[in-house]
Amino acid sequence: MFNLIFKDILIQKKVFLIYIATIIIYLLIDVSPIPIAVVCSLTFINMALSYDEKDNANMLLNSLPYTRREIVSSRYVGVLIFTSLFIMLTYGGSFLLNGKETPFSWKAILLIIGIVMVAISLLLPVFYKFKRQYLMLAAGALFGIYLATIKLLIPNLNETLRELTRKFLALQETQMYLVAILTIAILYIGSWLLSIRIYEKKAF
Amino acid sequence: MENVIELQNIHKVFNGFQVKDFSINVKKGYVTGFIGGNGAGKSTTIKLIMNLLQQDSGTVSLFGMKYKGHGKEIKERIGFVYDENVFYENVTLKDMKKIIKPAYKNWDDNTFQHYVEKFELPLNKNMKNFSKGMKMKASLAIALAHHAELIIMDEPTAGLDPIFRRELLNILHELMQDGEKTIFFSTHITTDLDRIADYITFIHNGEHIFTKEFYKIEEEYALVKGKLDLLDIETEQEFISIRKTNAGFEALTADKNRVANIFGDSVIVEKPTLEDIMYYTKKGW
Repeated sequence: MFNLIFKDILIQKKVFLIYIATIIIYLLIDVSPIPIAVVCSLTFINMALSYDEKDNANMLLNSLPYTRREIVSSRYVGVLIFTSLFIMLTYGGSFLLNGKETPFSWKAILLIIGIVMVAISLLLPVFYKFKRQYLMLAAGALFGIYLATIKLLIPNLNETLRELTRKFLALQETQMYLVAILTIAILYIGSWLLSIRIYEKKAF
Repeated sequence: MENVIELQNIHKVFNGFQVKDFSINVKKGYVTGFIGGNGAGKSTTIKLIMNLLQQDSGTVSLFGMKYKGHGKEIKERIGFVYDENVFYENVTLKDMKKIIKPAYKNWDDNTFQHYVEKFELPLNKNMKNFSKGMKMKASLAIALAHHAELIIMDEPTAGLDPIFRRELLNILHELMQDGEKTIFFSTHITTDLDRIADYITFIHNGEHIFTKEFYKIEEEYALVKGKLDLLDIETEQEFISIRKTNAGFEALTADKNRVANIFGDSVIVEKPTLEDIMYYTKKGW
């Protein structure tokens, strides 16, 4: 299964410098590490999915001695590995640029992994069921809704989001963290099982 | 004789196309040519064999095993060459090897290197710059590098130039020498099969028409040419289908000896090509 995760890195190895350059540029203009790591992780995963779809990779992978369960599971495990990798890159970069002033916290890391896991839980079953074009359509629609929300309802949505993040990071209650972690884990595992079910019935 | 592939009573309805009560066997140690027109169900059958598609009912077994519970064991022993590109385009053959190699237990780097050199494949060029023939050779090198016992090819010669096609057929011929390998090979360029196939499996409209030894087809089938006045309701029954022109008729029979007895010297009896058999079978459907 780890071969399949390694495959995603191998395919994108030529653009890896671009990811690193992006991280450095964002850090230089003082963007918080949280959105950087989230955006890079999601972009990387989206690229991996697009390569698999464009190049008929499902036919290749399913003709190799892998089970369908392994192919789907490698995605879900891979997401966690890639996100950890981007967290390390982002915080490593931040440390090199800012030295000891790096705003490192476990809560921030939990928040990054949490956001990525929620996004992936929602995206992957849709990806396995439909084509990625529909995902892009859905993403486009969501962005439209986001813009409309800012304009019509909450003119300071970005500010509010930042406020919420700050509140989350300032939270002290361990119990609440546990509930959040548990909820996300259940969502992720549920999505994983659903994707396996969808993929096992798929025709190529 | 041992069967490597056994499909039994397969039913599959798929995108407006259906395979009905479809059964075929592929024998170990031989080359089986799999023929049929466009849309006859060749690719669907190959996908069923590769478990890329699942049948609605019936059983698929390979090496005597079913996919359920033995999927990995089965695929360890199969090499595949597809009509469409299945490689990642922005990846070199060298990296493609790195992706595929860990999937197989029996991967042999030396064999892979041997065929890469033999086929003159560039290791450091992106797959998107490979021609169709090169991609086909790359698939074949991969199939041979993991010592596949069964090689399944979907239209490997389509879109290749004649020199390339002949090269491929020579390679396949060499592979068959040890008698351990089995090749199942779909094509609609039937002349390729003259050089290599031991068995011919013919399908039409999702139905299995026949599987026969190649030489027997020549013994049984015949193309009959004669004057129109020889045909009446009774004699027309002897043929699979008939093509009539002003100059006379041309028809295909599956029983050469019987037709020779009936018509005697009044007709010309010729050896049909596979193409003739496909054409008249489709016409008579």
